[in-house]
Amino acid sequence: MDLLMTKDEVLFRDEVRAFLDAHLSEDLKRAERLNPSFLADPSVGLKWQAKLNDKGWVAPSWPKQYGGTGWTLAERYIFDQECEQAGEPHLRGASIKMIAPVIMRYGNDAQKGFYLPRILNGEDIWAQGYSEPGSGSDLASLKTRADLDGDHYIVNGSKIWSTLAHHATRMFALVRTADTGKKQEGITFILIDLKSPGVIIRPIRSICGTHEFNQVFFDDVKVPVSDRIGQEGEGWDIAKYLLEFERGGAFAGGVLRAMLTRIHRLASEPLPDGRKMIDDPLFMARFAEIATDVDANDMLELAAMSKVQAGGNPGAVPSSTMKIERSRIRQSIAELAASILGPDALRWEEHRPLHELPEESELNEERKVASAVYFNSRSQSIFGGSNEIQLEIIAKTLLR
Amino acid sequence: MDLNYSDEQLLLKESAERFLKERYDFERRGKIIASETGFDSGIWSDMADLGWLALPFAEENGGLGGGAVEISLIMEAVGRALMVEPYLTSVILAGGLVEKLGSEEQRVEILGGLIAGTSRPALAHAERQTGFDLGNIAATAIRSGEGYLISAEKPLVLGGQFADVFLVSARLDGAVKLFAVPADASGLTSTEVKLVDGSRASDLVLDNVRVAASALFGAGADTLAEIEAAHDRANAALASEAVGIMDALMDATVAYTKERVQFGKPLAAFQALQHRMGEMAVKCQEARGSALLATLSVDAPRSMRIRGVSGARAKIGKVSRSVAQEAIQLHGAMGFSEEMPVGAWFRRLYAMENTFGTTADHLKRYGEIIRDPAVLSGSLLREPV
Ligand SMILES: Cc1cc2nc3c(=O)[nH]c(=O)nc-3n(C[C@H](O)[C@H](O)[C@H](O)COP(=O)(O)OP(=O)(O)OC[C@H]3O[C@@H](n4cnc5c(N)ncnc54)[C@H](O)[C@@H]3O)c2cc1C
Repeated sequence: MDLLMTKDEVLFRDEVRAFLDAHLSEDLKRAERLNPSFLADPSVGLKWQAKLNDKGWVAPSWPKQYGGTGWTLAERYIFDQECEQAGEPHLRGASIKMIAPVIMRYGNDAQKGFYLPRILNGEDIWAQGYSEPGSGSDLASLKTRADLDGDHYIVNGSKIWSTLAHHATRMFALVRTADTGKKQEGITFILIDLKSPGVIIRPIRSICGTHEFNQVFFDDVKVPVSDRIGQEGEGWDIAKYLLEFERGGAFAGGVLRAMLTRIHRLASEPLPDGRKMIDDPLFMARFAEIATDVDANDMLELAAMSKVQAGGNPGAVPSSTMKIERSRIRQSIAELAASILGPDALRWEEHRPLHELPEESELNEERKVASAVYFNSRSQSIFGGSNEIQLEIIAKTLLR
Repeated sequence: MDLNYSDEQLLLKESAERFLKERYDFERRGKIIASETGFDSGIWSDMADLGWLALPFAEENGGLGGGAVEISLIMEAVGRALMVEPYLTSVILAGGLVEKLGSEEQRVEILGGLIAGTSRPALAHAERQTGFDLGNIAATAIRSGEGYLISAEKPLVLGGQFADVFLVSARLDGAVKLFAVPADASGLTSTEVKLVDGSRASDLVLDNVRVAASALFGAGADTLAEIEAAHDRANAALASEAVGIMDALMDATVAYTKERVQFGKPLAAFQALQHRMGEMAVKCQEARGSALLATLSVDAPRSMRIRGVSGARAKIGKVSRSVAQEAIQLHGAMGFSEEMPVGAWFRRLYAMENTFGTTADHLKRYGEIIRDPAVLSGSLLREPV
């Protein structure tokens, strides 16, 4: 075991850096810096995606045959760390990281051939349609119905908390096709064109002041049977497969390290009274503690991915640990950053997106977004299977 | 020693809670925040009628002679209701300073108007560099003719948007003094600032603003010491406001988890969540203890006052943040949306952690004061003076 880069990996890192230097514009970096949310606004994300697409780097984790990079684990880790340090807009969400692996694994050739290229070139943006008003942690209780009518399903019901559905072209959804047997067995995985008649999208604002999620209503929406993934009743297994990707299937450590670097810059700047936060032992103790968390999480990610690369499975306990730790670290970094604003923390800029406002110094902009980033970070322990549900999984595994 | 509320105090508590529950529900508050002024003048005149605006002032000044305990009861209710009108800043902070430092004439004019509901003074003291060192003031006052010329930059004047008169601090011959400056004085510019908790403040700039000789407060007094004491009264009030919010978060979380069904049971039936709510309740209790100590310390000698007040702000900053985060977590995505008041309570607590000293500032101030073994080892009971 070792942590050494090969000569080729060093060259690869330099190539990634050079690419980022040349193509990641100040505008895009600024927009991302001023984005309090987990994912970039698609208007920003798609611009960056187009540049990555020209280079063939949109989907680091996809195999080459589908237009991915085919990179090794070390290359993907390097790419993640470099992109995050450079401040790239976070474009890899429901499309690239969730529905794509599902289509690759469970889709037929027609579905692969149609949908995957449209993800790479940005023609389609996907939303995730799992949660419902009555079904959150208990996802299997979902009620949105899909009734077969000739070569279509007729969908009725509602999905909620659908991130970016107001920008999305399509939604992958879990729907109920049968009420008999175990509730998991009546669930089917379908792809819904959000421009279909009968789809209504209601915005919901989050506590960070941003409209990022929605409630989506379906009133007799027609979905062709050819847009079903897998078999009827297979939806639950597919959903579980997908959750692995949502929880632990990709690197997330780079963003944490980049966030730490950002606070360090903020804390190194003199405050209006001349003090610097990095000279404050209370601050530094907390800062260093979080940095050790980031290192540990990075190692956990690398170890888990090494297992996957060797053909294994990271296992339930490490996967859930990573989901929990990533959320906690992100929350503690955001909380620490907000704690050093002083009275300026009171100032609240309502306008969204923030990057539309007149440009200020980088540090002032960091201050402007810090409260919203902190508020937004509270969602990290809720979505994608809450931390309580992760602890349930860990405990069940231990006590089996 | 007596730590039981009197019957009158219990009545006040009940009437404060009832009034705000009826007149200031979450929906109504949303409308006030979204309105042009961000202020409900109807509520303010009702508070005048109820005597809230007169509460802390001595009877000889037209007040009701209420003490810190009465204020704490109002503030708990204010916290739960998330009231954005400037009770704390106009009545407790600025009004308190007028009562301590004002001449007979100033008291009649400013306190009289405040109690009647027609005047809302605001304190413009802290500057950008002031941080937590209340004496770090650069604004200047110079004598000119019969009066003074004041130049100052006062960012984030709380209650400033609703004020008709500012108490502006400035250095006169080197010493910090307060001056009454009408909001419409020429040379004064006020820029509205929207705050994270839905209320509004002002960034004030005074450029050679001329005021009369009678504008000076407390010519011979130690103004800075009074400003510090007034901030401690305000901080004790904030501690009680936080306790009100924490209880509200607790109640909301218990109610929600009893109602929300997942896996065929109410969330409240899961022991993991029962314990989490148990921990929240422990923190609410602790905060209540700290806030009461702060309340009963505002008139104590300075070191005891700091132990009570800054200790409470440090302690409550920490536990209230945790309770608010837990409340959001236990509400799931619903708690992360603006559909419920949970997020608004969370944001108000966050604002409080950055008002009149941050949580870290108060912890340091407390740490300094308990380095004195007499303060550290002294019990909470004091000898009467
Ligand atoms: C920012 C954000 C974006 C989201 N985006 C999407 C999206 O794009 N698509 C989508 O489908 N969904 C999305 N979600 C929804 C997310 O998946 C759900 O919030 C999550 O599954 C939890 O469900 P819930 O919010 O209904 O909480 P609930 O299930 O009601 O849970 C409330 C609380 O109880 C706890 N709890 C529940 N059951 C148990 C138990 N048995 N034991 C102990 N504790 C328990 C939970 O952990 C939580 O703390 C998003 C959520 C957020 C916050």
